[in-house]
Amino acid sequence: MATGNGTLAGKVAIITGGGTGLGKMTALHMAREGADIVVAARRVGAIEQTAKEVREIGPRALAIPTDVKDSQQVNSMVERTLAEMGGLDILVNNAGIVRGQERKPLWEITDEEWHLGINTNLTGAFHCSRAVIKHFIDQGHGKIINIASGNGMRGQRGDFMYGTAKAGVINFTRILATTFAQENIQVNCIAPGFIDVTQLQPEPATRTMFRNPQFIPVGRFGVPEDIGHLALFLASDASGYITGGLFANDGGGLAGGVSPTGYAPVIAMEED
Amino acid sequence: MVAKDFNLGGKIALVAGDSKYWSKYAGVALAEAGADVAFVARNAKRIEEAAGEVSRCGQKTLTVPTDMTDAAQVQKMVDQVMAEFGRIDILVNANELLLAKPFLETSESEWRRMLDVNLNSVFHCCQAVGKQMIKQEKGRVINLISCLAERGVANFAAYCAAMGGVLQLTRVLDIEWTRHGITVNAIGTGWMSETEKTGAPQEELILKYIPVKRYGNPEEMGSLLVYLASDATDFFTGQFLYVDGAVMSHL
Repeated sequence: MATGNGTLAGKVAIITGGGTGLGKMTALHMAREGADIVVAARRVGAIEQTAKEVREIGPRALAIPTDVKDSQQVNSMVERTLAEMGGLDILVNNAGIVRGQERKPLWEITDEEWHLGINTNLTGAFHCSRAVIKHFIDQGHGKIINIASGNGMRGQRGDFMYGTAKAGVINFTRILATTFAQENIQVNCIAPGFIDVTQLQPEPATRTMFRNPQFIPVGRFGVPEDIGHLALFLASDASGYITGGLFANDGGGLAGGVSPTGYAPVIAMEED
Repeated sequence: MVAKDFNLGGKIALVAGDSKYWSKYAGVALAEAGADVAFVARNAKRIEEAAGEVSRCGQKTLTVPTDMTDAAQVQKMVDQVMAEFGRIDILVNANELLLAKPFLETSESEWRRMLDVNLNSVFHCCQAVGKQMIKQEKGRVINLISCLAERGVANFAAYCAAMGGVLQLTRVLDIEWTRHGITVNAIGTGWMSETEKTGAPQEELILKYIPVKRYGNPEEMGSLLVYLASDATDFFTGQFLYVDGAVMSHL
């Protein structure tokens, strides 16, 4: 049984990369509010597990193995969604790749590595958005939520493909939003901060990133629910006039960032 | 070695600011590029020192002790500069009154003083000098502020609010004045050696944190200032540029 308020009752949502991490948590979050969920990602075991958990909550679920880098797979995933779910209201472009993108000197990055990073993190969102947009226009409404990153707004050392692609996702959001603003399609972007998803990963993930929350103004890492709530808001009718927005959900991280501790030592006002 | 376009020969600069360091460095940088420089601040001794450096560059200089929180004094000062030099090509606003304490402990009078010195002074100078620049159909306004105009740091509420105010004023004036040939830009400094090097234990931590691994030099602010003051930047307005060793770029 859904335990929420039925905010998304009767809606169908595709969540790419929904087998693990934030995607999975967002899928379950939307399911609890009544949305039927299509989980599209590469790992069959993971997406079937998410689908199973959605069904346990109550709504219908479909696990469609999809590599978002491959536009044919994306197109048939969307067709199958429309055929089997009978509609589509929400697309969450969440699929991304961080691991497997080892930091290395720029001159050692191969063409394949560059294309893998850009195609997964940016082109995948293009493939999926293109595949759903006509349906959204025809039905007169639709929601697209792109998951970007603070790395798309600032430059993290050595983070070439991910940071570049995520910056692209942020502006892709704005272009989609303005292009389809009059079609009642809202397109928004979430930039999660350091969200601890390690407990959601099927394989052991490095926790080194999650050692030291002192640089985050709120003093803790994010939890997947932090993103789920925001995705739910952006998927719901409550955000009908909000489009082209960039929502940093990062514990205040991007608001600071000029001082290592976030604090200035106390200085008395001194005039001479 | 100043490229022709960056030469400020024959230009008159007004450096207005109650900043311990920046007004001197700003004035010297402009003088080295060929400008004559008038200094304005409350502290007469400080601007006389700065004027001395400008004289050593061989440029004409003038000091007008002024409380820039007072609009009438500012107008009188501008009249005096005009009487002396006949025009004002470059206005540099460089105020930096610091106060860092928890927000709830910040008193009403401290808050007002911070906004008065750091923000309202800029309002007064821009009003008085802006009128003159509009008559000239040309001018350069450069506001020297801090990267904290755009980012928050705990304990810096009044300072951040004032700096943010100057930044937004920059973005409005550039639109209002662009048709008069006046450009308005802001420079945001990060961790600079003159102002921030304190020998305090956090210094090492800060160094680790700055991508270029060193503090900035005031001269590195000066070169950007000269560029923005020059004729090379007629099409360049409303911008906020950082001299920060990439502090504002990193995550």
